[in-house]
Amino acid sequence: MRRALVCGFCFLWVTFILALKPLEGQAKEVTWVELADLTGPVAGLDVPGTMGLEDYFKDLNGRGGVEGVKVKFVCVDTRYDVARALSAFKRYRRDEEVLAMGIVSTPLGKMLKEILGKEKMVITCPGDGEFQAHIGNFFTWGPTYQDAFAAVLDWILEDWRKKGQPGKPKVTLLAWDTPYGKEPLRGGKEYAERIGIELLTPEFFPMGTPKHDVYLSRIEASGANYVYVAAVDPIPTNIMRDASAMGLTKKIQFVSDYWGPTALGVGTHPEAVEGMVMVSFFLRGDEAQNHPLTKRIWTTYRKEPPEKMNEMYGTGLVWGMNFEAALKDAIKRVGKEKLTREAIYESYERLTGMSREGITGPCAYSKTSRRGSQQVRFYRCVKGKLVPITDWVTAPDAVSLHKW
Amino acid sequence: MWRPCGVFDETYEKDMAIVRTPLRWAALLASLLALGILPQVASYHLISFVNNVAITVILVLGLQVVSGYCGQISFGQAAFMAVGAYCSAILTEKMGISFWLAMPVAGIFTGIFGLVGGAPSLRIKGFYLAIATIAVHFVTMWLILHLEITEGSRGLTVKPPQLWSVSLDTDERMYYVIIPVMLLMTYGAKNITRTRVGRAFVAIRDNDLAAQVMGINLFYYKLLAFFISCFYAGIAGALWAHLNLVVHFEQFTLLHALWYVGMLIVGGMGSIPGVFFGVILIKLLDELVMVVSPILAAWFPWLGTAPAAGLGVTAFGAVLAFFLIKEPRGLAHRWEIIKASIRLYPFAH
Repeated sequence: MRRALVCGFCFLWVTFILALKPLEGQAKEVTWVELADLTGPVAGLDVPGTMGLEDYFKDLNGRGGVEGVKVKFVCVDTRYDVARALSAFKRYRRDEEVLAMGIVSTPLGKMLKEILGKEKMVITCPGDGEFQAHIGNFFTWGPTYQDAFAAVLDWILEDWRKKGQPGKPKVTLLAWDTPYGKEPLRGGKEYAERIGIELLTPEFFPMGTPKHDVYLSRIEASGANYVYVAAVDPIPTNIMRDASAMGLTKKIQFVSDYWGPTALGVGTHPEAVEGMVMVSFFLRGDEAQNHPLTKRIWTTYRKEPPEKMNEMYGTGLVWGMNFEAALKDAIKRVGKEKLTREAIYESYERLTGMSREGITGPCAYSKTSRRGSQQVRFYRCVKGKLVPITDWVTAPDAVSLHKW
Repeated sequence: MWRPCGVFDETYEKDMAIVRTPLRWAALLASLLALGILPQVASYHLISFVNNVAITVILVLGLQVVSGYCGQISFGQAAFMAVGAYCSAILTEKMGISFWLAMPVAGIFTGIFGLVGGAPSLRIKGFYLAIATIAVHFVTMWLILHLEITEGSRGLTVKPPQLWSVSLDTDERMYYVIIPVMLLMTYGAKNITRTRVGRAFVAIRDNDLAAQVMGINLFYYKLLAFFISCFYAGIAGALWAHLNLVVHFEQFTLLHALWYVGMLIVGGMGSIPGVFFGVILIKLLDELVMVVSPILAAWFPWLGTAPAAGLGVTAFGAVLAFFLIKEPRGLAHRWEIIKASIRLYPFAH
């Protein structure tokens, strides 16, 4: 027993020492730290996104970096655990080589916002509108949740008219009982009032709910015509499975937010998700899998056929593109030797209008905007495929309608 | 550190002393001095790590009292910590009460709240009680999410504590609050276990029927154990809230509660040093994974993010399984054996 303990201790010690050993013989490097949820509830979107970012940096470094400056990618699995993520953040907070970070948790974002105060550091995160309302370190990946919801409300109104229905449609929200799930309403509610759509009492359910029949029954009883689903895949697919079994998909139009079913999810339950509409700020389905850039990087680094790619992978590439462009801009302005977080921060604010090769709409970051882009596209699940039903449209600004 | 073989206590006071030899006094003073100057010499990350460990130690000390000493399995510790954190945040931010008053009040409130959580222990025990405490966790989380005062899913923003004109707004400054509180709480826990109350807890843990026959009031002592445990959790929660400046229900998950029980198993049930061993080992393991996984990814690029994704939970699971099989009495037991063998050296027994 004692021998086993001693051996175990020695192993841990040697690993620790090896881990501290600096990597030698490398060119100038800057670091991106990704505090990702690789094994928690939002792993469904974060794993492919992180894979995309990792591969983009491999590709960038393979091209020689940005004027010789290479990007080191550090990924920590936070397991959606705020304490662990915070510990990881503090580990890298004062490491001057770390020029930007990516996070995926709304509560962590709130916490870091308080901790960072006036310190300038680019932190990319999903679509919490609070970060647009209070301009600071947090740059969202795409439009905010409320903007996307407002775009959906516009689409619903148009769809209602196209179907020749009288009056206004009744819409409700079915979402996770989390800050993310409730975020569409902060501004989205005001937008619905403005365009005269009646929002019914929203239904919130805990993360990890296996069946959604209770919530769906209440929605059916409320007489909703449209349901906006805000949960991370595979949950929307599960909801559609339950709704389909209850026969609701024939009576109610389900619309998912941008974390709805991916091509892989749609293929798993084609009958259940048939007809579901989705708002997305990034390419989905065949469009994403056959996009020249995503296809090239995916097949080069993952060595898998494009059909196995989750579309969030493309979003990861976009995070990488943004960082590359900001790095280029910062080097041009301050030089390689004076690269700082503040320089990168200012460069992110100068990315306005930058193209992402069509994977998402053009970049909307500026001094007054933290939105990754303001364009969305609508898709419909048809026979196990995601088919685009609109072109890129600009989502309304719902954030500014809310009293923050 | 330990008494040489053959040295005996000659008075009752000596027998009852926690620090029993000059060498121990010296070691204690040296340790306190080292703790005092640590923020001046250590990195920001190390200080934040020590703060994190210290808060977890306070929390797990509470769990040790109720589970390790009194034998009542609880998976509600994360929820009780949340109650303390929210209580302190509400008292300071909404009622304008000073942190220095809010912290003990949060502890007491959580203790009282814990009486409700501990009530099922009067009728059920073992796995059934464990399940009941899981239910308490979910009910607490539901309340936090739906009560207006807790601001639901938005969470609460907290200001750093003030000490006269100094704002304790950094990890280094909060260190000087967290460490003394941890030491005080450790001293308290150590003393509780040496008193009549502590002996009653142990009697209940070993055989509750026999304890009752001996005249121990199960109702009173079981609830007292829950009160003390939750008081500790409340204090830990208050410190957590004011260190991190935001309180949010997603910071206190059932997974955290499992980790705390895991720390207790690794450290050793029914031992105060065991709490330190368990917390430090598990937290170090977590940090080690964080350090090692990017290095592994850099050395073996084909692994990609796999080490980051898999190593943490795998390491925790492996360590827990190892201790359950090989050392079920935890590191504290091993520590006792090592101490005894050194004390008795060169004799084996």
